[in-house]
Amino acid sequence: MKSLLFRPVPEQITRLSLAFALLASGVFLVRAHAIPQTWLDREYHVKSTLEREANRPRRFAGAQACTECHEDQVKEKAEGNHRTLACETCHGAAGKHVEDPTETKLFAPRLRDYCVLCHAYDPSRPTGFPQINPALHNPLKPCIECHKPHAPVPPETPKECAACHGEIERTKAVSSHAALACTACHDAPDAHKVTPRLVRPTKPQNREFCGKCHGPKSEEKKAPRVDLAAHGERYLCWQCHYPHLPEGK
Amino acid sequence: MNEELLHNLADLSKQVWGYIYPNEIEVHWSIMIVLYPYLTGLVAGAFILASLVKVFRVKEVQPAYRLAMLTALSFLLIAPLPLLLHLGHPERNFEILLTPNPSSAMAMFGFVYLWYLMVVLLLEIWFDFRRDLIVWGRAASWPLSWFYRAASLFSNDISDAAVRFDKKAVQVITVIGIPSAFLLHGYVGFIFGSIKANPWWSSVLIPIVFLFSAIVSGISLVLLLYMVITPLRGKSLNMACIDKIASFLFYAVIVDFSLEALDFIHRLYESEESIKILSHMVTGKLFVSLFVMQVLLGMVLPLGMIVLVKTVSCSEDLRKLLYFTSAILIQMGIFATRWNVVIGGQLFSKSFLGLTTYKMEVLGLEGLLVALVVLALPLVVLAILIKLMPPWHDEDEPGPAAAGETPATPAELPAPTASAPAPAPDVA
Repeated sequence: MKSLLFRPVPEQITRLSLAFALLASGVFLVRAHAIPQTWLDREYHVKSTLEREANRPRRFAGAQACTECHEDQVKEKAEGNHRTLACETCHGAAGKHVEDPTETKLFAPRLRDYCVLCHAYDPSRPTGFPQINPALHNPLKPCIECHKPHAPVPPETPKECAACHGEIERTKAVSSHAALACTACHDAPDAHKVTPRLVRPTKPQNREFCGKCHGPKSEEKKAPRVDLAAHGERYLCWQCHYPHLPEGK
Repeated sequence: MNEELLHNLADLSKQVWGYIYPNEIEVHWSIMIVLYPYLTGLVAGAFILASLVKVFRVKEVQPAYRLAMLTALSFLLIAPLPLLLHLGHPERNFEILLTPNPSSAMAMFGFVYLWYLMVVLLLEIWFDFRRDLIVWGRAASWPLSWFYRAASLFSNDISDAAVRFDKKAVQVITVIGIPSAFLLHGYVGFIFGSIKANPWWSSVLIPIVFLFSAIVSGISLVLLLYMVITPLRGKSLNMACIDKIASFLFYAVIVDFSLEALDFIHRLYESEESIKILSHMVTGKLFVSLFVMQVLLGMVLPLGMIVLVKTVSCSEDLRKLLYFTSAILIQMGIFATRWNVVIGGQLFSKSFLGLTTYKMEVLGLEGLLVALVVLALPLVVLAILIKLMPPWHDEDEPGPAAAGETPATPAELPAPTASAPAPAPDVA
């Protein structure tokens, strides 16, 4: 032990220790003198960040500001299908416009390419959400010629269910229920076509409905038969079998 | 919304399939972030190969030991560059070291990197080259002599006891270095594997897969460099050395392949809600880079080539050709692996309903040209390091005259050189 303690320190260790000590003291010097206090103190850092963010110029005016001058449009929008959209979603940041309405005018989308960002057909959009194929739906015609942007409704009531429920229509077309009309199972009041979310179509509410074709006494020759008393217990048929694309053909 | 933004959005929406959130259309982690794990992996792999000599005493690999160390150093020096280019503001990178944020895994990179650079690589290279640096410093003229003296930290003890101490130190550092190399690349895998929100990345296997692919890429890079540089120096290849490296490469590829297959099967069997969009991506946008480049060309083919060498007795030239080709293919395969992880993880929407497209710039700070420069830079650094600090022990390689003779078998090779004196002329 004694010999280990009093053995001369190898030159390499001395030099490396010196180099590391120089480096470490450099780091401590920089930390002590060159770094602003706000970087080191976490609370102070967060506070100064909040101050900096709060002092940034405001670009958006907020929904309330529009009401003051454009009461009619705001009211119209509040009752229409675009009621959940903010004015600035389509018209852009209105901060400068609010400060000086004559000097800064807001952008108003008048061409087709803006509306299709939300309304072009996309299979992943929720069913019933108004969607069109931009290439086929009145090409070259600006959307706002037929649809009022503040309270958009179809200019005429859609005749076919597929106008809004395209995905279901396409799915059903390749299924064994292809020949069935939507109204065979759903009772869709006319009001549903005008206010689709307020008035909803019906769905079959009992097992006997499906049993008309699939029950043991059905006269449909090609429909698979099921003993309703023994199959499925307390569930409705469509809770297990997707009626727009039922299993088996 | 202004009109310019609108047109840009309309343009971008064409590269989207299905539904995708607006902030997912553009792939933010570009090719620079592909380069980062690729370069870091090469460092860890090259070091692991070097450690075979010092810790596991694989004497055959001795001729490539110093080359592997310098390769690891030159790639490590460039490894943070793609990150700096991607983030912008390179002058701020010292802030993460001076004002550490221990709760951020990403901010810890600076410390993992520094640990590996300062405590492992530089220290081991310093101890290994210290005697040579002193000797070269005494023989060289100004300003090189000053470079060598400064690099040796003005050390001047080349006594036998000091050299023995150096060797011992190298061994100790290598032992620390192996877990450190695992930490370095395991850390890079951890960064991806710990992102809960991304099912393509979030897996506990990712750090392990990264680690083994790193070992594969580092070994194949050193093999490649050794096979290119040695003939350029007018020396012939030490066949026992490259046979041994290829052998290790073979086992590393097998382990890596099994781990990746395990990860893949695990995902398939788990079949979480993301599986549909991931299989869309894997069979569509990633098909070429995953199945063709990563698996077929980057793993199966090189594996087949090395199996061929191991089972059929091939001539020396054929062996060299097969090793060289497999090393290049493996490099391409590992690059594709990094690409598939980094870019693949950003191609699908977190809604699991759509895919976007990555369009690489050609010019620009994160474009193809800069990527090629970043890939070439470690080789430039390596060339400078080799010029300044030649890593060769002449007794490790047969000269050109001996090359034409019968290939050396391990038994005929020079005695193990782990304890041999350093190569520099002794002018003490």
